[in-house]
Amino acid sequence: MHELSFHETTFEKCLKCNACTVNCPISNVSFDFGGPKHLGPELKRMMDHQEVIDDARIELCTLCGTCDASCPENVHVSTLTSYAKAIHAEENGTKFRDLILSNAELVGKLASTFAPITNMTMKVKPVRKAMQKVLGIHADRQFPTYEFSNFKRRYNKKHATTEKKVAYFTGCYATYNAPDVADSFIKVMEYNGIDVAIPEQKCCGVPMFANGQMKQGLKNAQFNTNSLLEYTRQGYDIVMTCTSCTSAFKKEYASYLKTEEAEELAQHIYDADEYLRILHEEGVLNTNFATINAKVGYYAPCHMKGQGIGNPAMDILELIPGFEIQDMAASCCGQCGTFGFKEEKYPYSLELGKGLATVVEELDADYTVTECGMCKNQLDQLTNKQVKHPMQILKTAYEKVPVTS
Amino acid sequence: MYDVIVVGQGLTGLLSAIVARKQNKKVALVAKGTGKMLQSTGLMDLVPGSNKDFSQWMELYGLSNREKITVKDAINEFKRLTEKIGYEYVGDVDKLANVVTSSGHLKSTALYPKTITPIPEKGRIVIVGFNEIVDFQPEFLKGNLQKERPNLQIKTMSVSLGKDSQRTLTQLDAARVLDEKDNREQILRQIKEKMKTEFTDGVDLFIFPAALGVQQWEKVHSQFCSELKAMVTEAPGLPPNATAIRLHERLRKEAIKLGVRFYTDTEVNGFSKKGTINEITIKMNNRNAKLESQHLLICTGGILGGGLEQTAKGLKETTLQLSVNKEGAYVDLPDHVYPVGASLGTNVIHYGITGGIYSVVSSYLTNLQIERSDMRGLQRA
Repeated sequence: MHELSFHETTFEKCLKCNACTVNCPISNVSFDFGGPKHLGPELKRMMDHQEVIDDARIELCTLCGTCDASCPENVHVSTLTSYAKAIHAEENGTKFRDLILSNAELVGKLASTFAPITNMTMKVKPVRKAMQKVLGIHADRQFPTYEFSNFKRRYNKKHATTEKKVAYFTGCYATYNAPDVADSFIKVMEYNGIDVAIPEQKCCGVPMFANGQMKQGLKNAQFNTNSLLEYTRQGYDIVMTCTSCTSAFKKEYASYLKTEEAEELAQHIYDADEYLRILHEEGVLNTNFATINAKVGYYAPCHMKGQGIGNPAMDILELIPGFEIQDMAASCCGQCGTFGFKEEKYPYSLELGKGLATVVEELDADYTVTECGMCKNQLDQLTNKQVKHPMQILKTAYEKVPVTS
Repeated sequence: MYDVIVVGQGLTGLLSAIVARKQNKKVALVAKGTGKMLQSTGLMDLVPGSNKDFSQWMELYGLSNREKITVKDAINEFKRLTEKIGYEYVGDVDKLANVVTSSGHLKSTALYPKTITPIPEKGRIVIVGFNEIVDFQPEFLKGNLQKERPNLQIKTMSVSLGKDSQRTLTQLDAARVLDEKDNREQILRQIKEKMKTEFTDGVDLFIFPAALGVQQWEKVHSQFCSELKAMVTEAPGLPPNATAIRLHERLRKEAIKLGVRFYTDTEVNGFSKKGTINEITIKMNNRNAKLESQHLLICTGGILGGGLEQTAKGLKETTLQLSVNKEGAYVDLPDHVYPVGASLGTNVIHYGITGGIYSVVSSYLTNLQIERSDMRGLQRA
């Protein structure tokens, strides 16, 4: 029996209604992908208690999770497709490139150590051409920059001393690429009188799941679960600024690990804006914001939409006086984490990004707001608007308040 | 705290959310899946599967003559909305149109998108299928249509989309192919080529699957009409039909742009009253959360939408866990809770299929009810 045979019964409720395929961003731009219905519940039905089937088309699934949110029967489609990915990787081997991409944390550590050189090198055309040839990373794909002064070097508090305590799962992106987002988050919490601790953590595992590295991903999930439970059991809330990390802890850990610990931990996971919204509902949010006169477009990442939390970023940002924010109602950006870097996936990525680029241009706002670093990467490449994280805006709104003595 | 919470994102749910948001209310929409609209034809029928006219419809749904003007307002409001979102509906509830489905049967419908043309009594018709779309068989359609309209001269043809896939292609897939200009031209060339030899005496109407573009439907439709020198219609059939998807995608985007907060992939699993306030518990990925609202709209679509379940003990209401009668209507409805559309349990047809017009009208009427209730609240204050 195959090692990756797994227990998942929600597919039995699948009526083949097509809601997942109709809404699947990839299915809508390409016939090369079999679609979530076919490679999820139908494939599982065929394989259950029988031979394992490896379908190479599963490589085109980005694990955006839109299928899960579309399904009227609550079938965990993306759990099925992520295992189909794992099966494909196991049967077919994993490209060296995919191993590297899936290990965002290691890349981050190395790249940030040599940050100025990395950033410069990644902009040199011959180097990028060589990368496409040797590694299969598309030469035209822009990379996020890395910071030498990564967040780990900037802040490493292990315990919080205030009454409300937050443990911050920083994630690879805010640690190595955008420490300013992490700094901003700490500041925003400070303005609310909340101390932030940084627990021991490894990459959330999302890039691993997306590249079929299920075993490594589950190892990370287990490590993080153990590490963070130590905090939640002492009354900490776990807060994250990356919506993909948040989604992994809330949804994937529980459905992949299938342990009570993962379920217990999931109860305490909050997206940063969601957390601030709760503070606001409890009447304890510091709403002393300075006026920011700006008209901005909001781009909702797929992994935010899948959490079922409404639109907390807009709920909070709308509290800033003068701040006009409009949801652009755009579909998937097409970067999809590691997907958009790959040579052979790059054309799909650009095709997906077209819709997003059009709405950004049509709205013609001052800048774009999104929580996701990878969506930002695509926005940076396809639009000429600056992209900010909600925490960066909130920090500015707090800082600009004139000090009265 | 929201002014209005809508449960469900089918036609009724999306319309209710949009109407409420336009009244400047703070609106949340809670939904488990995409709504049953994706399975529909996108046609707005009065009484699906029958030829009942407007006055019979009013009677069937228990609407009094007094309400006629309001009903007409609701329909005009819907037409204005569809025009605004770039997918205009035409037609008249007083004069039903006979449109063809992909099985070749005619059905009466009240409102339909501009890609649809009613079927005439006589004339020359060509039914065009796509080789790759197995859900639409021109010969099958012809056989049935000929029985209903013996005076039509009907011919069929099949052309290729020029795309292949290992997955079964649907009408929606074909529609996305037609969004691209080059593909349209390639397909039109094939049709014209066949016309040269087989259909030399001209054609009045071309019938296609419900696949004439998604984003670019207007371009597709007008290009086909002008190049084929005839009227063009879509014949909706097995889902997903582009006729329904266009409306669904646009209504959803409109609601999001207006600022409706979507709590997708959630389920209502608790309900209580705190004074006049409705408090629902929703199950998110990881935990339960509470949402409060002044008004709670149940747009869960009856049996078909999953709002009702048929059990051995009778009908079970799945959203608020309240008791319903044999028809699925709430027995003891709490204040400020409003079932809309099929959730009202009027059950005039079967399984909560109410027809698009009822969804349109019911969403509108519910909003008026809310407005009146708010006015009363203000007067008291």
